[in-house]
Amino acid sequence: MARSAPHLPYRRPGFWRRLRRGNLSDAQLGVLLLLPALLTLAAVMLYPMVSVVWQSLHFNRLNQPFRGTPFIGVQNFRHMLGGEGLIWSPSKLLWLRLLGMASLAPLLWAARRRRLGPVWAAFLAAAVLVVFAGLLGLHPAEGGRWGDARFWNSFSITLLIIVVSVAGSFLVGLPLALLANVPSRLRWLGRVSLLLPWAMPRVFAGLTFAWLFQGQYGVVNDVLARLGIHGPLWLARVAPAIAAVNITIVWKTSSFVGLILLAGLQSIDESLYEAAVVDGASAWQRFWRITLPLLRPSIAVALIFRTLTAIQTFDIPFAMTRGGPGRSLETLGAYIYNSTLALNIGYAGALSVVLFVLSLTITVFYLRWIYTE
Amino acid sequence: MTSAAPVPARRPRRPRRGFGYLAARLGLLLMIVNGLFPAVWLLLTSLKREDELTHIPITYLPDHATVLNYLEVFRQNPFARFLLNSAVVSVVATLVCVLFAALAGYALARLQLRGRRAILTAIVMTSMFPALVMLVPLYRLFVGVQVPGLSGLFGYLHAMGWGFMPQAVTTPNLLNTYWALIIPYVALSLPITTLILTSFFQLIPEDLEAAATVDGATRVGALFRVVAPLSAPGMVTAGIIAFVNSWNEFLLALTFNTAMNMRTVPVGITLYQGQFAFPWAVISAAITIGIVPLVLLILFFQQRIISGLTAGGVKG
Repeated sequence: MARSAPHLPYRRPGFWRRLRRGNLSDAQLGVLLLLPALLTLAAVMLYPMVSVVWQSLHFNRLNQPFRGTPFIGVQNFRHMLGGEGLIWSPSKLLWLRLLGMASLAPLLWAARRRRLGPVWAAFLAAAVLVVFAGLLGLHPAEGGRWGDARFWNSFSITLLIIVVSVAGSFLVGLPLALLANVPSRLRWLGRVSLLLPWAMPRVFAGLTFAWLFQGQYGVVNDVLARLGIHGPLWLARVAPAIAAVNITIVWKTSSFVGLILLAGLQSIDESLYEAAVVDGASAWQRFWRITLPLLRPSIAVALIFRTLTAIQTFDIPFAMTRGGPGRSLETLGAYIYNSTLALNIGYAGALSVVLFVLSLTITVFYLRWIYTE
Repeated sequence: MTSAAPVPARRPRRPRRGFGYLAARLGLLLMIVNGLFPAVWLLLTSLKREDELTHIPITYLPDHATVLNYLEVFRQNPFARFLLNSAVVSVVATLVCVLFAALAGYALARLQLRGRRAILTAIVMTSMFPALVMLVPLYRLFVGVQVPGLSGLFGYLHAMGWGFMPQAVTTPNLLNTYWALIIPYVALSLPITTLILTSFFQLIPEDLEAAATVDGATRVGALFRVVAPLSAPGMVTAGIIAFVNSWNEFLLALTFNTAMNMRTVPVGITLYQGQFAFPWAVISAAITIGIVPLVLLILFFQQRIISGLTAGGVKG
């Protein structure tokens, strides 16, 4: 009997050999394929997140290296949000209280009617308060008594831009999406005109609208003059500048909202409309009963992304007025940028943390809204 | 009462075009004007002479059309260099981004991974981090990173002022290089492109891949021979979105690349305005040049972009 070769235990080929032969297990291949993307995101997104929190707790002015970078705890935030006594004139306090009650009453009503969760109500109340106070020049830093006046100004103007431009771009974007879905020979041109503002850099949009809103030779004032209205010097006064910047942001971003909603519209089953027509529903009813409810997920997505970009508003005000007149249009993003430019790294980090917390809060609220519906 | 009279057979009339029809057409027209007017106005402004811009009442069509503004764009600033920088940064960032996103998307769509939904959600969630927050840490990171290889020949060239590094910084680092923009741009576009490509891969029937494996192809071979060609449309869409994102980015480019010859187009365009003077004709010409690539992309790929946003937007 011939002796058989000694039985060798089966050895799996090594990792690299299996990689070359393409015989990796799912988990191994998955890790390998996911690694580049995850590493990039970790380096560019995650590391900054951690690092920014860390540096917000330090004193760090690059132009004063002799002072070092000592750990100062929450001093940056105390400087920003205020610590010294709050001094307001009685009349301003009265105004703020009236405003507060005016904004709280409907929210209280909605909360009691269970139209609104208590957390939502509190959040909305706070937002409305700050926006209205900022609008009337009543923000807490009036007179520089309460924290960093520049921070409160940028915070309130950012909140104002969020509220106005998100609502505006939704109200403009929805009709745009509906129109882009209308069958017509000009539909392609409609879609091009929907895509152009989306693709246009924000800086270009800002500069273009700065030219349109130019006080003497701009188109807007020319059209207004033809209608018999004397247009203001849009970018030289605070209130018109805020309006002009918001209009520009709405123009630029409504196309993004429109595109997301158009995508949602295209995924709605055509037969639903046919059935509704058979049942005798009017166009208005079809819109309210079919389109809007089925569009809900798209609306949520559009609003989330729109709000998150609105928090970071920087380019358009910067291009239009350089944050002016004065510093009235300096958004939170612009303030972070200016602090960095002024080499006050620690404070810029603290501002970034505030921005991040703001966007995190809003995201959480949106996600709760989506998941509860 | 008219029912008695026999009506002569007539060709069926066109469907009734009522108020709704008219309103929709009017709306579409308004939408086109709204979307295109600023661009058209830029074009018209760029063709006017500077003195024509300060006429009151303003003229809508240029009296004396001129291309001098376009020449002026290139004379005042190295605009060709800005275009080159933007093109290099955007193209490289797009390619890298689509490659990474395709790999990740394939893994998330096809492989039996534990928690792949969680991974996808995490990737998409990173797009919710404000890019602004990245500004300071990345700046510090880039200042700290010594470019490998710079110590040798490149370091010498750099010291002589001939390197691809600018003069502004004294120690060689990543600031004022293409990498300073490419790396963050890849990360900025990764979430949306990964989302788009994942949903695209899920649409490709798995049987095709199985058939290729039966025919003797390896897993990776099937990926490159079967899946990649079929997902080319998705990759084009993702690429366009990544390209537009990179071409448009302003803040990081403004902060990281401060040397004149490393600026990108959006940053470069803000250089034409003086402290008080706004040479609008020249600015308009510069912007017009800057949006030409985007307009071409839109004209050729409008359906692709919209379908790509469908995949990315709704399934998010």
